[in-house]
Amino acid sequence: MKLPINYQIAATYLTSKVKQTIVAVLGVTFGISMYVFMNSFMSGVNVAQNRLAFSTLAHVRIYNDRPVDRSDIVSRVFPPGTIANIRNGKVIKYTDGIKNSREIIRYLKAQPLVSVVTPEVNISVFFKNAGNKVNGTLSGVDVAGEDQLFNSAEFMVQGSWKELAYRPDGIFVGIELAKSLSLKVDDNLNILTADGVSHTYKVIGIFQTNLSSVDKAKAYLSIAATRQLLAENQDYVTDIQINAVDFKKANELVNILAPVIPYKVESWSMANKQLEAGSNLRDIIAVAVSLTILIVAGFGIYNIMNMTINEKIREIAILKAMGFAGKDIRKIFLTMGIVIGLIGGFVGMGLGFIVSDLVNHVPFNVAGLATLPMSYDPEDYILAFSFGLITTFVAGYFPSRKASKIDPVNIIRG
Amino acid sequence: MNTTRPNTPSTSPGVPLPNGPILTASNLVKYFYEPEKFQVLKDISFEVRRGEFLALVGKSGSGKSTLLYVLSTMDTEYQGNLAINGNTLTGQSQNALAAFRNQHIGFVFQFHYLLPEFTVLENVMIPALKMRRLSRQEIETKAYGHLSTLGLQDQALKLASKLSGGQQQRVAIARALINDPSIIMGDEPTGNLDSKNSQLVFDIFRDIVAAGHQTIIAVTHDEDFAANCDRVLELSDGRLLK
Repeated sequence: MKLPINYQIAATYLTSKVKQTIVAVLGVTFGISMYVFMNSFMSGVNVAQNRLAFSTLAHVRIYNDRPVDRSDIVSRVFPPGTIANIRNGKVIKYTDGIKNSREIIRYLKAQPLVSVVTPEVNISVFFKNAGNKVNGTLSGVDVAGEDQLFNSAEFMVQGSWKELAYRPDGIFVGIELAKSLSLKVDDNLNILTADGVSHTYKVIGIFQTNLSSVDKAKAYLSIAATRQLLAENQDYVTDIQINAVDFKKANELVNILAPVIPYKVESWSMANKQLEAGSNLRDIIAVAVSLTILIVAGFGIYNIMNMTINEKIREIAILKAMGFAGKDIRKIFLTMGIVIGLIGGFVGMGLGFIVSDLVNHVPFNVAGLATLPMSYDPEDYILAFSFGLITTFVAGYFPSRKASKIDPVNIIRG
Repeated sequence: MNTTRPNTPSTSPGVPLPNGPILTASNLVKYFYEPEKFQVLKDISFEVRRGEFLALVGKSGSGKSTLLYVLSTMDTEYQGNLAINGNTLTGQSQNALAAFRNQHIGFVFQFHYLLPEFTVLENVMIPALKMRRLSRQEIETKAYGHLSTLGLQDQALKLASKLSGGQQQRVAIARALINDPSIIMGDEPTGNLDSKNSQLVFDIFRDIVAAGHQTIIAVTHDEDFAANCDRVLELSDGRLLK
């Protein structure tokens, strides 16, 4: 009861028709809780999607790309119209893999945006078990670095990831690959390289990444064993995989590295446009849905405020006769709108959290997930609350302006 | 109840000008444009003395209510000049006029027009809370003073909508008095009351005027009411007869 009179009147109007106030508050509550829920769910999905994607994909990859096609070299050097006779033109690749990899890795590790760097030797091979042949990728990895970057140890179904470092004769195979070649742990697996080298390894583990393209056609060796297989030196590397401190900074990192490093530097989003597109589209859908809900809630408030003002049109005229100015009237009704927005906002954030938590407990056994994914980002809550406040402010402003313009003479004289 | 008489108000009104009229209207002209152009007030000039009890009478459609609303500063679409208490009010902004009404003019309408969601006490206090010249405690004391003068002290904490018509009209009078206005304007203040309550309201008005500080201008078609006023102004077809 110590409030200035305008606020006291607003408070009385809000509390004297509790049902109407509750309906208005519920409109906001619903809008904001849906906003919170939709955004938490969508960013939860994005996080899960990214975790899945980055289980085999580094933020930035450096590799020796094929040389530029220069088969038309004659036309570059001689004037047009020169007759040349070159048959079976070839483009010669002078180097295989990344030269000076030790220096490059040392340089990369000094970059502030880089969190993990690991070298790989990737080659195409045939996996052979008796008569069955499957072609795929053999990945020679730095065991500790690979685990740091991809959490590879988590995906092991059988065997232990660390063992690979101590077993030059050991190999890990994807679960689908193991099935198609009828392999079990301790079975032998023959590898045939493109250069015709054949070598037999012992299966010491089986992994499952839930990406079937990987599970079907990938095997891991230690990087030293792979170099040995290829008869390459101790610095031989085909790919350098890098994780940035934040995957969203991958392109920024590429811009720093590309001018310095004489090889192809590629970020995850360059290599996988569909991932980025999917993530952005989901964000847009989430915002569109929740804004729609908020706008509908806004119209609800607008309606209720308009109704209230029409009901109280005579009282507004009386207040004006007694000396309340247009701005006082506007303040009264705007205060009502804002109070509705504030209460609705706080309750909405709570309800949004509860709904999110409930949905987060719904079982969802697909692609390594146990329940539906959900993120709890304070930013979503703050945004929802601010949008809710803005909506109620706008929804309250127009009716209150109408109220402030009511001409008391017309109303009182009837 | 009808023997209740208000005592002399304990507080003095605003800044009294020792001489001169409280209200001066010069050459007031007003047109209505709907449904068609029609001159409702035709060159009306008069003065009201401080402490006068004035009745505005006339047939329905004579323009008496229209004149009152021009005098009340709520209707600003007129030609001519209006001054109250030495302040020229013609041409002032709506906000300035609202503040002026709050301080200098009290209203009593035909229908009580109380705010039904507030208690009787709050209804009386609202204009003073708006003015913010006194503390809430002082305003409350003053509101109780007016209510008990009008025999309503027991009703103070009831909702305004729970009172009878006569009681509500007395609450409206208490509300009109709370800021010690120089002028109290009534638009058919007894128009909706039975004869007993009409007499009661008239007596209250009489006593207010008798205290000598405040002026009353009331539109009425009640002949007894008009007959007992200090002066009667009669309007006919937008012109002043007497």
